[in-house]
Amino acid sequence: MDGNVIELRNVRKEFVTAKHYPGWSGAVKGLFSGEKEKKVAVDDISFGIKEGEIVGYIGSNGAGKSTTIKMMSGILTPTSGSCMVNGLEPYRNRKKNAKNIGVVFGQRTQLWWDLPLSETYTVLKEIYGVSDGDYAERMNFFEDVLELGEFMHNTVRTLSLGQRMRADLAAALLHNPKVLFLDEPTIGLDVVVKDRIRLAIREINETYHTTVILTTHDLNDIEELCRRIIIIDAGKKIYDSTLSQLKKDYGFRCSITFEWKDMPDEAQTRMLRDMGGNIGYRESDKGAKVYFSKKEISVAQVIGKVMGIVEVKDIQIKETELTDIVKDIYQNSAGMGV
Amino acid sequence: MTRFFRIYWTFASNQIKSNFVYKGRFYLFIIRKFLGMFIYYYLWMAVYAGTSSGSIGGFTRGEMVLYVFLSYTVSDIVMVGISSEIGKDVLDGSVALNLVKPVNYRLYLTFQSLGVMIYRVVVPSVFIWIGLEIYKVTELGMPVIRPLSLLCFLVSMLLSFFVYVFFDYCFGMLAFVTTYIFGMNIMKNAALNLLSGKLAPVSFFPPVIQEIFSFLPFTAMTYVPVMIYLGKYPGAEVLGQLGKQAFWAVALYLAGSLLWKKIEKRIVVLGG
Repeated sequence: MDGNVIELRNVRKEFVTAKHYPGWSGAVKGLFSGEKEKKVAVDDISFGIKEGEIVGYIGSNGAGKSTTIKMMSGILTPTSGSCMVNGLEPYRNRKKNAKNIGVVFGQRTQLWWDLPLSETYTVLKEIYGVSDGDYAERMNFFEDVLELGEFMHNTVRTLSLGQRMRADLAAALLHNPKVLFLDEPTIGLDVVVKDRIRLAIREINETYHTTVILTTHDLNDIEELCRRIIIIDAGKKIYDSTLSQLKKDYGFRCSITFEWKDMPDEAQTRMLRDMGGNIGYRESDKGAKVYFSKKEISVAQVIGKVMGIVEVKDIQIKETELTDIVKDIYQNSAGMGV
Repeated sequence: MTRFFRIYWTFASNQIKSNFVYKGRFYLFIIRKFLGMFIYYYLWMAVYAGTSSGSIGGFTRGEMVLYVFLSYTVSDIVMVGISSEIGKDVLDGSVALNLVKPVNYRLYLTFQSLGVMIYRVVVPSVFIWIGLEIYKVTELGMPVIRPLSLLCFLVSMLLSFFVYVFFDYCFGMLAFVTTYIFGMNIMKNAALNLLSGKLAPVSFFPPVIQEIFSFLPFTAMTYVPVMIYLGKYPGAEVLGQLGKQAFWAVALYLAGSLLWKKIEKRIVVLGG
């Protein structure tokens, strides 16, 4: 396909590890047995990503997200299949590919631990051959969106996690890469820092048309950043579409929480329980929760029905959240025995 | 070429700076060096006190003093391990971060070691050498080292550095296979202390063993530069020894490239 910055075709990655056994006897047994175990981390994954896209790459723990990122960044070699980034095979042209990409691993840091933060950037400036002009411009940009100035001359090991993450993001972007891989960039961060990181990612995407691939467990990241999401489970791709399509496909479930003015009597309760049209009903302390599918009945109709039966004090409408949708998809794929 | 040095030199310079970060470590490091050298010195002096001839294996007592301090400082400077660095990178998975940069992993490690080497030349070896030179001239009545010999010594030491680093890189590749190489590293160091001439001059060993040693790269690590400094090689042999060092540096470099090619395909990044 043309116009794709990243192109994966039937990529598969297997790991071979020594087999371990449980318990004390197992620990000893492991010393003598030469048995190997084959684990498939990524199983026949294909997708293409266009320039300037922000793609959320999600899946439960151990689904193979990081492994895919590592193959696209040239660290790991796929067992089979092909993977192209900017027209290069990353693992064959590791150094050349590295110039085009920026990587942030949320759980690791590439900053120089014992030295002031600014030293890391001077090293990176040399490594990537960033010109003085570009360097100054980008440092200004980071100063604006990531506010690095306040701790620029602090030793890296004294930085807080939030500061470190912001600094790591800047480090990955110093050479203005065409593609940015973010492996859980908001892990362990507070709401304010998360917001700042998201803002920075969006700003970078808009200013430089950087293609961003983002893995995360925080679905707010996805909701705020990504137009497209790819979901994988147990190494297989199980969903790939735009966020709005996902919501259309799965987001039709809706719930309304009512609070009664006066508790309904027996006849009213019977009517409420039996509204028909696949409307679920669950009583709570001072009111009830009503479930339905928007495909079958509109919100206004449901409210009208309920208010026709009993007098209502308060109403809360809740659309299905992305979290619920994704939970659904994970569970369905497990249920289908994939 | 200048760009190459500008890139990799930053690794060396940052490494030097890192070595000054922890004050306690800085001073303890120096104290430990002196402690090690003097234990070693008194040990050998006890050995010499027990001999009547005053010379062992072609070394007089005075030369042995020089040998002890020289071999200790030289091996300290030259043997800056990178396998432990590789081991750490593999074990905690941080090798991933080194592989996503447009940088050659081996050169990155080599220049980091170069930084440590430069640091160790200054802290405190160069002062020990000056002290030794004064001791040599005043106490032993030997002439001051000739500029040419000094040059050969320095060149030889640089070659020693490359021989060791490239050897240690090959050794470090084991970490990718076994995951954990801390124990093997200790074993390697013990073996090298003996094989490289750090513990005792190679000329102390039986001729057969010396013969075997001459086919191995280990004497090119410590023994050769020290012997050059002591003037134990007659004229032309110095060049031969330097050539041998250069040969081992190149051979081990090529071996390392080969090993990396084999291992690159099976890299596993630990820790998610």
